[in-house]
Amino acid sequence: MTMPATRCFEDVRVGEALPALEFPATLTALVTYAGATWDFHRYHYDPDFVVESGMKAPFMDGQMAGALIARLLMQWGGPDAFLRRLSFRLRGMVFAGETIILRGAVSGTAIEEGRGLVLCTFDIVKADGTEVLREAQAALELPRRTA
Amino acid sequence: MASHITDELCAWIGREVSYTAPEALGAASIRYFALALGDANPLYQDEAFAAQTRHGGVIAPPTLVCETNQIYQSPPDENGYIGHCWPLPVADTRFIRGGNEYEFHQPVRAEDRITATWRILDIFERETRQGGALIFVVSEARFTNQRAELLAINRETNIYRP
Repeated sequence: MTMPATRCFEDVRVGEALPALEFPATLTALVTYAGATWDFHRYHYDPDFVVESGMKAPFMDGQMAGALIARLLMQWGGPDAFLRRLSFRLRGMVFAGETIILRGAVSGTAIEEGRGLVLCTFDIVKADGTEVLREAQAALELPRRTA
Repeated sequence: MASHITDELCAWIGREVSYTAPEALGAASIRYFALALGDANPLYQDEAFAAQTRHGGVIAPPTLVCETNQIYQSPPDENGYIGHCWPLPVADTRFIRGGNEYEFHQPVRAEDRITATWRILDIFERETRQGGALIFVVSEARFTNQRAELLAINRETNIYRP
């Protein structure tokens, strides 16, 4: 793959959109994430159990949405970036087989303790437009050219 | 309407429990987590590349430390779950995740042996528009490494619907 390029704090413009990320939440992806986090709950892979519990299909761990936002931010910010803060609340469940689309934009910038922080806001929707998450907030530290 | 916030439930505010992972996080855990997210960022697996960055070496994807149940050593419960869970006196309620707020203080590395310290910050009740009640439990987990350095904090709100 191409090595990610460094992005500096001074290069960022408020209002600029981040590249969208489309993620197919296949049952395989949900199981792989559950395994990678040592989360063996039947919610994420056992269709019979999930249907008995009143849901239609195995579903995504809500915090996987946060992990995907972090993936998008760290890719965009380049190898010298460091995620400082991330907060989110899921408004809709994601079921195995659905595709989700993450969209983010730069909502502001700040200098805190000498660090250059890029503030971003994210939404996640399903391919059919259903809302999964609205206005997740992130603060990504980028290197400063002047520091 | 009778309150669901009993003295027995309130007594949980301020309770704390700590777990220390039996081993260091390890490069394999970092690579597996990145793989699960379809994340090919070399910062998480290419030591030669990562050494040239300000991080000075491979680091873990940001939220891994807050998400991994590698820290906990209990056997899986009847549904397979092995992570932290408060045994709150909230019988006959449905559990709903309310949201997460993460703060990251320094990158997590393969050699870090993680301790998670969970604490209940608050328990309160809210009425729904339909006149029902919801019990909110706000918890905080502080993650530290083998040198007691703070790595990250996860504040989460969970909701119990009677």
